[in-house]
Formats: sequence, C-alpha cells, structure tokens
Amino acid sequence: MSVTQAVVRRLRGSPRGTVHVVDGNPLNWLYITYHTVEELVRVTKQGKVRPAAMRRYRWVDARTLEVQVRRDNAFADGEALTAESVRRAFTEQVRWVAPHPPGTHFNIDRRTRCEVTGPDTVRFHLPEADGLVLGKLRATHVMSERFWRDLGFGYARDQSGEGHW
Amino acid sequence: MIDAPGPWGSGPFVLAEGHSSLDTEQAVTSEGPFACTWLQRQDRTPQVRLRANTDYWDAVRGPHLREIVFRNDLSRSEALDLVCDGEGEVDIVTEVPHAQADRVERSTQARLVCVDAVRALAGVIDRDAKGLPLHDVRARRALNLAVDRTALVRDLFGGRARPLAGLTPPTPLTALHRAPDRLRPYPHDPVRAARLWRASGGATRPLRLAAMHDWEAVAHRVAQDLRQHLGVRVEVTILHGAEELEARRRLAEKTASQGWDVLLLEQGSQTADVPPLEHPASFRSAARVGWRTGVEHPAHSSVATLP
Repeated sequence: MSVTQAVVRRLRGSPRGTVHVVDGNPLNWLYITYHTVEELVRVTKQGKVRPAAMRRYRWVDARTLEVQVRRDNAFADGEALTAESVRRAFTEQVRWVAPHPPGTHFNIDRRTRCEVTGPDTVRFHLPEADGLVLGKLRATHVMSERFWRDLGFGYARDQSGEGHW
Repeated sequence: MIDAPGPWGSGPFVLAEGHSSLDTEQAVTSEGPFACTWLQRQDRTPQVRLRANTDYWDAVRGPHLREIVFRNDLSRSEALDLVCDGEGEVDIVTEVPHAQADRVERSTQARLVCVDAVRALAGVIDRDAKGLPLHDVRARRALNLAVDRTALVRDLFGGRARPLAGLTPPTPLTALHRAPDRLRPYPHDPVRAARLWRASGGATRPLRLAAMHDWEAVAHRVAQDLRQHLGVRVEVTILHGAEELEARRRLAEKTASQGWDVLLLEQGSQTADVPPLEHPASFRSAARVGWRTGVEHPAHSSVATLP
C-alpha cells in the first residue's frame, strides 16, 4: 500500500454505517457487479479510461498491449490477484460470442492472445490494431479462481456463457 | 451472472447475501443465418447485502460504508412512503417517478437529487400498418408535428426531461448536435401536421397506440394530441407485466402483426458512465432487431448492420 493510501485510510477510519437502498434501476445488477468486482480499468463520469486493477499499461507496439497489475491486490477470499488472474478472465470471456449485455461491440477480437510474461505482467497480442481495446477491458471482470470453479457467470453450472451475465 | 453471494471479486464490497442479475430468453431475429437477441428480465433476491472489503487497495474510493442493503421486497410506493415519512428503514430510493417528485421535495426528511438520465422515450411506428398511411413520410412527420413535446415535459415530467432531436440523450460529447443549424427536435405545429396528414390520405380506421405501463400518462396525452390535431381516432393500449416482454419479443422478431401502430418505447444505455460510446452502437443494432418495426428491409438493414 502506498503512503498516500495509508494516510487516507488512517484519516478516514474504518467503514461505518449501513445504508438501505431501494433501487428500481434496471442496471442494479451492474452496480453490484462494479462494486464487488474490479476490471483492469474504470471509466470516469467524463468518459476517461483510468487504471483500476492494473497499475499501469504501455503499448509495446501497435498490436501489443502490456498490462501490469497491482502487486498488493487480492480477492476478498485472500487469493492474490495476479497476471494469471487476468489471463484466466480473458480466456473465460473470449470463449463466448456475446459475453456482454450491451452488445458485442465490447468484444475484444477473439484472435487476441493473452500471454503471462511475469507474475504481475500480461501482454495482449492483438491480431490488428485496436485503439478501443483499453476501454473494452472495462467489461472484462477479473474474478477469483473460486469464482470460475463454482459460478463462472453460469459457465460452470450451465456449460454456456451466452446470455448469462 | 453473479447469482450467488461469495468473495468472488476484489472490489470495495463483498456480495454477502442474495444476488441481483439478469435472466434472459432468446428472440430469434433471423433464421438464415440463425441470429437472435436476448430479452432481459431482472432476477433479484428480496434482499442483497454488500459488506465492506476493508482490504480494498484504493482507500480514496472506499469503502466508506460498512454495509449496503438493497431492499427488493418493497414496492415503489412503499419505498417512497418509507423514505419520505419513515425513519431508518429506507435511506435512498432511485427512479422516483415524475409524478412523485414533488412529494419528495415537500418531505422534511427526504431530498430529491436529479441527474441527467441516459435514456430516451420514442415512438416506434409500424410503416406497414394497413388502413393507415404510415408508409408515407408525410404521415410520420404529421405524427411528430402533432405532439406537443414541450407540454409533455412541462405537464407530465415536471420539467425533468427534454425534447430530443434523435435517440441519443444529450451528453457533453453530443453537445455539438444542439448547436445552431444542427439537429433540432420536431416543433409543435398542429396546422402543418394536419395538412401533411390529409395529404398522406388520412386513416380509414383508428390508430392503435401502445405503451408500457410506466408511460401510461404519456400515451394518453399523445393520443389526445393526435385526436385533436389530426382528427384521427386513437385507441390506447397499456401493456403490463408479461405483456411488455411479449411486445418486445414480437418487435425483435418482426412478426407481421404487432397489435399496435405506434409503440412508445424507452431505450436506455447499459453503460451509464459512457453513454456516447454505447448509444450509437446499441441504436444501430437495436434498429436492426427492435427499433424498426415491420418486415426486414434490406436497405435499412445494410445501414444498421455493424461492421
């Protein structure tokens, strides 16, 4: 944890209070997903793509995106979030034709290869240049191994990810 | 879907109880080659509880709350009663109906917070309707010119909506579309509307206007405008519960008879943080499977087909 994060945490203290919400919005499922799960990036209200589960990224060349995940990040059950977690998330997602409710325009080209190059580093080898791929990672949920084993967005239970979100 | 509680992710909260996900069923949009779209239904447990993940890496983002409890066991009316007049049982209610906004503002305990919605309400027109001239662009323009959108916004939405020039709600990225000489919403012009309607041939039977139940008041107001300014008879049908899903299915599958001539339909973005990114694509794909009614039209589909 960085010094800044430690100071903020100390100043803020422990989480407190319970809020009861009645949410009629049809996106409630997404709010809950986005508050319990992280993706490599988040998007601000202004539409800016910002690192989330990733610490940083760089374009190695026009078709190779290198991502470094945070070293101090872990899932809620204690399992470390590593480069392998990212590779697993991508591999699970790319199996399906339409893994996202909004539509297939969030799909990363299925010919993309995700290579783990270190404990914290993965490289996405794209078949062709795609300037939107960083934003598309907003829809790639990085989940724990236990999740993929027990639930897996319905993959494990129903043997299919199509239409299950 | 995350349809069971567990320590699945690394976010600021842990899903500790219940679930909120989507249930889906297919609507076949093409048999050769086979293509389908999904009709979504919400699948929620009566209560969903999120517990703070105190090890979350970003202390700036949170979590600030120990628990968030989503109550899905209350009707919209019960929720408003509790947030306006109760104490501690409900703290936040979203999606306050326009008709109830004043009540919240008058409440001494609740505060109304307004945000720009990423959704649009539009009328889907069946161009193939028998006995109506809706295949004629003059008739479709007449429908648009006859509806007083400003009055709709003022009287039914409490001023908390705005007429749109297209299907994409205004956002900072689409501001240019509201610049002078760019797209503008249809004005309310009853004289021109009546002239165009007559020129298109008029109707030989009542126009059937349908709407989802949330938009019942809007449907009756639109019907009133059409009757008054076009002299057309209008029959209003309000769809409830399973009827709504069935209407969406028939629209997506482009069945020959929809049971309506104009359907008031709401379209929202599922990416609340980046609607300009999603809307063009979703409307293009929706136009192929949903927003254009009637039989397949090759020229239209070629425009609507994603690259």
